[in-house]
Amino acid sequence: MPAPFPPDHNPLVRKLESIFPLHDDERQALLDLPMQVNVLKDDQDVVREGDRPSRCFVILSGFTCTYKATGDGKTQIVAFGVPGDMPDLQSLHLKVLDISVATLSPCSVGFIQHEDLWDLCMRYPRLTAAFWRETLVEGAVFREWLLNVGRREAYHRMAHVLCEMLVRLRAVGLAEDHACNLPITQGEFADALGVTTVHVNRVLQELRANGLIELKGERLNVLDWEGLKQAGDFDPTYLHLVQERPAA
Amino acid sequence: MTLTLQPVRVATGSDEEGMLVFDEKQRLLAVLTHLGDQYDGLTGHWYLEAGFGRLETHDQPTFADLEAAEKWISQRLAKR
Repeated sequence: MPAPFPPDHNPLVRKLESIFPLHDDERQALLDLPMQVNVLKDDQDVVREGDRPSRCFVILSGFTCTYKATGDGKTQIVAFGVPGDMPDLQSLHLKVLDISVATLSPCSVGFIQHEDLWDLCMRYPRLTAAFWRETLVEGAVFREWLLNVGRREAYHRMAHVLCEMLVRLRAVGLAEDHACNLPITQGEFADALGVTTVHVNRVLQELRANGLIELKGERLNVLDWEGLKQAGDFDPTYLHLVQERPAA
Repeated sequence: MTLTLQPVRVATGSDEEGMLVFDEKQRLLAVLTHLGDQYDGLTGHWYLEAGFGRLETHDQPTFADLEAAEKWISQRLAKR
């Protein structure tokens, strides 16, 4: 069953259109994709490393994280997933998953059978290019995260990831100007940034004290966008958005 | 191993009360910071601000009290 979204608000269409211009028939083909919609609680694995899936999933609402773990159980979050993302799209070509994906908030996800995606790609070669572009952009984000975690100080790391989340959410219509919902705990930020929760707490305090952000519960409000971009050494080029809004 | 604690102020920007931890040869092993009010569940705990040698870790732990911190330090030094 197709996802219950008006065509303009379908997360998959929005996401692909943010990085690739779609024709009407391609947009319709995406809307017609058979999809099994599941509602998941927070902190649940959607797929696990080692799985051999016969389907991919699209995030329809909510946030996920893609993570890997060391042999002794230390977790590194390697990406955050937002509505429209397909965190395990790689499984279409790579049979065994080398990542796990878990929900960070209650999520609605749409599972698409691989055979339906193959069929779609055969019928619409430009959509194959769109999915290819999506995986290339995903790779660009991983490279930026590697730089971020490997070489930026915690304060700048945090500023960078906040900038990225705001721009990505804005690209799929889930941020107003400089505010968005961000249901990510300090512990989850710690796992993503490779620092401790104590450190995350401190750098968030510092970003607040410097007048760059306001964080109330899950609500992020960026008070000084230019300042936050500067603190995060953030240049959105690596997100390869078709049309980046002037505000960013 | 006998550990010696020496109070110190730490310039972390928020938490200032800390302890230097020395071994019996008066070599500095670690700096512990007492976490202030802004940490929810961790307020009042002690954080391994810095550890040297065998106490160096990317995953600095927090401890409910100094006794727990000393126990962890001793265990870590005895290992390997």
